[in-house]
Amino acid sequence: MKLMKSAALAAAFGFVAMGASAETLKIGFIDPLSGPFGPSGDAAMKHWMYAAEQVNKAGGINGAEVEIIAYDNKVNPKESLIQFQKAIDRGVRIIAQGNGSSVASALIDAVDKHNKRNPGDEVIYLNFAAVDPSFTNDRCSFYHFRFDSHAEMKMNAVTDWIAARPEIKKVYVIGQDYSFGQANAKAADAMIKAKRPDIEIVGNELHPMGKVKDFTPYIQKIMQAEADAVITGNWGADMVLLIKAAIASGHEVPYLTFYGGSLGAATAIGKDGVGQLYQISEVNTNLETTPEQNALIDGYEAAYHDSYYYHRVFNAMTMLDEAAEKAGTNNVVEIAKQLEGATLDTGYGTITMRAEDHQILQPLFMSVFSDNVTRGVEGLPLGWTSGDADRIEADATAMPTSCKMERPE
Amino acid sequence: MNNPIAQSVANLAPTGGQKFRQRVLPLIILAIIVVAIPFFGPSRTVYALLSVMGINIVFALSYNMLLGRGGLLSFGHAVYFGLGGYAAMHAMRAIEYADGGFWAGFPVFGLPIIGFAGGALAGAIIGWPSCRRAGTPFAMISLGVAELIAAAGFMFNSIFGGEEGISGDRMNGPELFGLSMGPVSDVYWFIAFWLVVGVGGMYAFTRTPLGKMSEATRDNPERVEFVGYDPQRVRYLVFIFAGAFAGMAGGMAAVYFEIFTPEAVSLLPSGFVLLMAYIGGIAYFAGPVIGAIVLTYMQSMLSDFTEAWLLYLGLLFMLIVMYAPRGLAGIIFGVTGSFSNGTFSEMIGKWLQQLAGAFLAFLGLIVLIEVSVNWSNGFGEVFEPFGLHLTFANPLTWVLIVVPLALGILILRRANRETEEVLA
Repeated sequence: MKLMKSAALAAAFGFVAMGASAETLKIGFIDPLSGPFGPSGDAAMKHWMYAAEQVNKAGGINGAEVEIIAYDNKVNPKESLIQFQKAIDRGVRIIAQGNGSSVASALIDAVDKHNKRNPGDEVIYLNFAAVDPSFTNDRCSFYHFRFDSHAEMKMNAVTDWIAARPEIKKVYVIGQDYSFGQANAKAADAMIKAKRPDIEIVGNELHPMGKVKDFTPYIQKIMQAEADAVITGNWGADMVLLIKAAIASGHEVPYLTFYGGSLGAATAIGKDGVGQLYQISEVNTNLETTPEQNALIDGYEAAYHDSYYYHRVFNAMTMLDEAAEKAGTNNVVEIAKQLEGATLDTGYGTITMRAEDHQILQPLFMSVFSDNVTRGVEGLPLGWTSGDADRIEADATAMPTSCKMERPE
Repeated sequence: MNNPIAQSVANLAPTGGQKFRQRVLPLIILAIIVVAIPFFGPSRTVYALLSVMGINIVFALSYNMLLGRGGLLSFGHAVYFGLGGYAAMHAMRAIEYADGGFWAGFPVFGLPIIGFAGGALAGAIIGWPSCRRAGTPFAMISLGVAELIAAAGFMFNSIFGGEEGISGDRMNGPELFGLSMGPVSDVYWFIAFWLVVGVGGMYAFTRTPLGKMSEATRDNPERVEFVGYDPQRVRYLVFIFAGAFAGMAGGMAAVYFEIFTPEAVSLLPSGFVLLMAYIGGIAYFAGPVIGAIVLTYMQSMLSDFTEAWLLYLGLLFMLIVMYAPRGLAGIIFGVTGSFSNGTFSEMIGKWLQQLAGAFLAFLGLIVLIEVSVNWSNGFGEVFEPFGLHLTFANPLTWVLIVVPLALGILILRRANRETEEVLA
């Protein structure tokens, strides 16, 4: 009886699945759409859908309509591989993924193996948020393109920003105890020592991931160490709770985060975080920019009632479009060849897809959470803003790479 | 002189034909099905889905050795799946980088054996302290162990590979049966082979004295002690075997996915295997098989149609626990059993009523859930089944929610009341 129910359910919903038209370029979006990370994946999906809409309005890619097909991977590497097979079955030859370096690692591997085992039927992978540096270093692949600055580049930008501020004498580093947090801790330490040997790193701490409910003891330690600035790569609840504990303890120094602007954080932290919470990212919506870019942000926020966050998704779509038009074909290997070394003038400066490792070089901005903004986030009168001194140029974010790219003939 | 009592008792032992029908035939049918499937030319999706189902069937059956057959509720069975899988994964890497020696001659096809050994070893070590008690203490210890291993998974990078896990390439080492192991169709044969071996092995286990004693220990440990067995030891041995078969499923997964991440030893897959076994029906050997098939399908395919698939999974679990504690297998065998004992014609009316009621109630619920999900997304997407445009502002939506739901519940209540009257 229950079995029949699920069968009936599947049949009933079969009608909702959309049929594809003949001339389409399918992009398989593989990210979490349900469960605890569902909102992150959902927000990214909306950006991809809007980007596709914009391209389709302008005549598509080489005349083909772009279709985004979303696959729910539940942030599970194994499940992602099943969804990857499903995507290939539906004619997807371009996949996009971002949330979770574990998934990205599995997909890079899967794409490489697929391409090796199925010559002539290649797949390329547009990574818009997984920031493990190894993906464009020793694990680099010709078929993988990263449109976000990786963790070390971001840490490089954060430490550049600190180095330019003589009033900062003591820095505290805190992060989650797993590969990403550990790598960050090491990078912060090495970079600060190289750039400003006079700065004292008064603490470098790792806490259990997703287990700490009250960060007050950590904040007390940071306060006792008399830190002038705190660096954290924390994301999700660990980031929000850390900042809230700092606010509650009256610890008013800059908290330099990677993910302070992620979805829901502004609402959770509220106006007490103003002037204290910083974020390193490729955009904030209050930057001075071209009217076209402003129109894009307005259009997106009007269409989806959601904050414009994944600027890099639009970069990825535009670069894909231009590379395909230049190649004159929608064959993904030809597109990949054109994407190598491609540049794009965006509303915030020129960005480059570095040919040697397929890593994007883009300007980064150290933005501060503010209540004096023209464009708020999440429907609040609060948002992100930055001055001229907070801009780190694209060239300055570049890091050396150990990538030895194997290219197809 | 014959014993008069023994003479008057009919021989209850199954005949040779019955033994064949009940014990060997289902396995042969399973083997025929898995062999026949590739002749229908399945797509990659179908191959992927079937392979994962095969892995999950072995995993769920191994879990049921504990829960259904041994009466041991474990919240950490994925630990053995994961550790076995990791053992196989490391072996796969050893094959890849082998320079002569043992591993150079070891076929990837045989990796589930490594997984089996790894799972058995993990079961032997972890089971030693945890099998001293049954019931709630056992469940709590299993939960603690699961947390422990899951935390260790992120700490010992050389074993677990950190967040990104470890990966290998299955296209190495000597080939068996002419399978290169590259394309999914090759891997399907690998999964099919080990599925049949695993299911056969676990079924054979239920027929061994240890398997029988495991059921006896579940039902009454005191009596087991009385007849001279040590229940602790029985539990421990069963636990090792359950771990070993879970490890074998892990070995199959290592070859299929070519990657293992610490997520595999976490609480999530431990919970999922419990759901598979319970929804399928823990009282039947075939129950977890059905549960694994249904839940694997739901996990990988239902999410294409609705992002609320987890909600449906939760609802299904609740309904099974409340109204069909013998699981999907209980429902199926209830129907087929009524053919043989002749109650089919009496029961069919009630079943059809229940089916209609449940179908209607579910229809209303689906409309409610889907319209809500689309509404809460807030970007103007609307649930449009059969070309209908359903929003909360549309009165038709409420009609479609309330009428089937009310009608369904009414029919269900009536059907149940009739049963009670019959019983009274």
